[in-house]
Amino acid sequence: MRLVKMIAQVDMDGCIGCKICERICPTLAMEVVEGKAKVNFELCLSCGNCQQRCPEEAIKMVKREKPFTVFVDPEQVDKKEIERICARAKMNPEQLACYCTETRVKEVVAAILLGADTPEKISQKTGIRTGCKVECIQPALRLLEAADIKPERPEGYQWYGRTPTIWDITDEIKELYSGRGFYFDADIELLEKIARQKENHEEGKNE
Amino acid sequence: MNKVLNPIPPRRSQYGVDPGFVKKRMAEYPEMKAIYLRELFPELPQVIFPGENGLDKVRQAVHKELEKVDMSMIGPEDSVNICASHHGFTLGGGEPYAELLKAIKDVIEEKTGTKNIRLRAGVGLRFRETEEYIKSFGLDEYFDGQAKGVAPVDEGIPIETEIGTLYGLKSIYDADWIVHAHNSDVREVHFHRQVDRAVKPFAMSYARIDTRSTYHHNLGPRGANFTARAIFSSDFVQSKFAFTAILEMSPLGIIGVDADNDLYSLNDRITVSGCQNYGKVMTLLGEIDECIVGLDFPCPVPYVFAGGVIYANFVGANVDLFDLDNPLPPYTWYTEAFYDSKGKPLFKETPPPNPAIKMVVHNYAWAGYPSAFFSEHIPTIVVGEEQANLFREDPQNLSYMKHSVIAESLDAAMAFAYRGTGTDKVIVFDGAAGGINVSKSLYELLKVKAPEVKTRVDEKLFPKWLKQRGINPEELNKKNEKCR
Ligand code: SF4
Ligand code: SF4
Ligand code: SF4
Repeated sequence: MRLVKMIAQVDMDGCIGCKICERICPTLAMEVVEGKAKVNFELCLSCGNCQQRCPEEAIKMVKREKPFTVFVDPEQVDKKEIERICARAKMNPEQLACYCTETRVKEVVAAILLGADTPEKISQKTGIRTGCKVECIQPALRLLEAADIKPERPEGYQWYGRTPTIWDITDEIKELYSGRGFYFDADIELLEKIARQKENHEEGKNE
Repeated sequence: MNKVLNPIPPRRSQYGVDPGFVKKRMAEYPEMKAIYLRELFPELPQVIFPGENGLDKVRQAVHKELEKVDMSMIGPEDSVNICASHHGFTLGGGEPYAELLKAIKDVIEEKTGTKNIRLRAGVGLRFRETEEYIKSFGLDEYFDGQAKGVAPVDEGIPIETEIGTLYGLKSIYDADWIVHAHNSDVREVHFHRQVDRAVKPFAMSYARIDTRSTYHHNLGPRGANFTARAIFSSDFVQSKFAFTAILEMSPLGIIGVDADNDLYSLNDRITVSGCQNYGKVMTLLGEIDECIVGLDFPCPVPYVFAGGVIYANFVGANVDLFDLDNPLPPYTWYTEAFYDSKGKPLFKETPPPNPAIKMVVHNYAWAGYPSAFFSEHIPTIVVGEEQANLFREDPQNLSYMKHSVIAESLDAAMAFAYRGTGTDKVIVFDGAAGGINVSKSLYELLKVKAPEVKTRVDEKLFPKWLKQRGINPEELNKKNEKCR
């Protein structure tokens, strides 16, 4: 869930059309047309990425007249489907996918089930990746993969790809480094316990 | 009792309120006194900064340390990126780190003849933070216009590692050689758990969002920092890595400079000194039974400093954060993610945020880091409408103010905190160097507890922490003597 109170505003005189804003906007709200950046009024979720990276400092964030909220209600989709995808991704539906916008994994999965087949579309619907813009790309990619969706990369560098998880660590690596403070197996046990906790928690019988 | 130490002054930044709005500092109250870290732990090492001619001493230490470092791989026509991170600039007011960077440049130039030396300074979650430091410390001129702030959303490059593909920032690696310029401040022990501390920037400030998200979502609370080791050990990074130079930190300040061609050897040394020195201060802070916390430092909420320790560490001080047998610290992003929508932990053994913190008076701290967890779990009073608005408009703090109350002035906030908590113990995170500004009552408590903490850390905890990390201090000493 994301409350959107601001919007990016481009200073046309300052903009040199370098396209950096277009390449990093997590909701694809920026487009350079005839050498100048244009903001899509509906799609800008005021994450500030463009304002923070424009080399000419030609973007500022201004207050919207009418703030709005983006949110996908998980109740709209089959709960069993959410649980199935979360189990495959080894995540708990209740856990946070994005700290800044307090978006939970179940909301991301609901967005996917309702047709969001790229991280950008997930961001447009839920607001994930519009807070700090740094930490939440992997939950989105892992959940898409668990839903058997191979997202197409946008032309910019919004993201590059799904990276390894703790379950991809080989026994050889575990053996090499477990004596150096990396507790891979113990963490796997912990994460799996948390992923499973959901059903039990809801039924009131904690593991 | 000592009179208060000077707090670090407010800094003009797009991430904090204008310094003019910081009308009063918590250290100004008559009930506040300074407890010197040396009174508590006389064995803490001597510092070169702060102190007389501190910056000169930093520069001299860089020259001396770099004498023993091999730079023969760097040719006179080669390009070199000195890679830095924002954290360094939050230590001792930032000048010592800037001096380290300048001195490294000078020595490389002297020893190798190359003039193509650039500064690449990475950030955390405030993408223009190092641009601000580059300007305020004159680094742009010093690097002949070749100093650049880099951010995790900038263009990336794939790096093949032993666990799979990860992604670095293109402009970190766009030179023939890279030099890793860092510091040994323990800082986010809740994230890295003092495992491969010196390597961490390879997965953070030098890395793309794809990699940073791997750290905080994919590898688990105690496997996270393996992201850094995987990248650093990759053939690609090894083919470019020349050496590391760091400011050696203790809770008292800068104790020296360490440099090495072998990052893992240097890492072992700082693992030991970090556990030994910071371990004591953190363990002592865990002894506080009840208090009001003052945030009063130019940094985001979790990163304000007291006694060389950040507030986020105090939020976890009810647990031994160095002990790897504790899976989830009271605060870390994994922990935060694992609270459900009703505010219940999904892992029922999750330790709560430090129950000794009865209330937080947020007099001055920056936005630009997701901090809602803190105000949601700990009663928080924010001083001033301007500061409240800064947080309301920050995309990373959409609900920080939802859980906080606002006071018009610091006086009103303090009066409310005293009345509301019933405690007269106060600790201020204001970056005071050499000690901690605390109320008289807390001064007494810390003084009484310190000797037992020292014995416990030295005899029981320190050996355990090192063992968990596979470090035998005697072997390490022998190895270091051989190198020196
Ligand atoms: S980043 Fe700035 S200069 Fe570049 S296209 Fe966007 S608005 Fe224009
Ligand atoms: S969503 Fe973010 S990057 Fe995109 S236009 Fe809006 S503020 Fe800029
Ligand atoms: S880094 Fe990304 S995922 Fe994390 S809180 Fe910020 S926006 Fe959300």
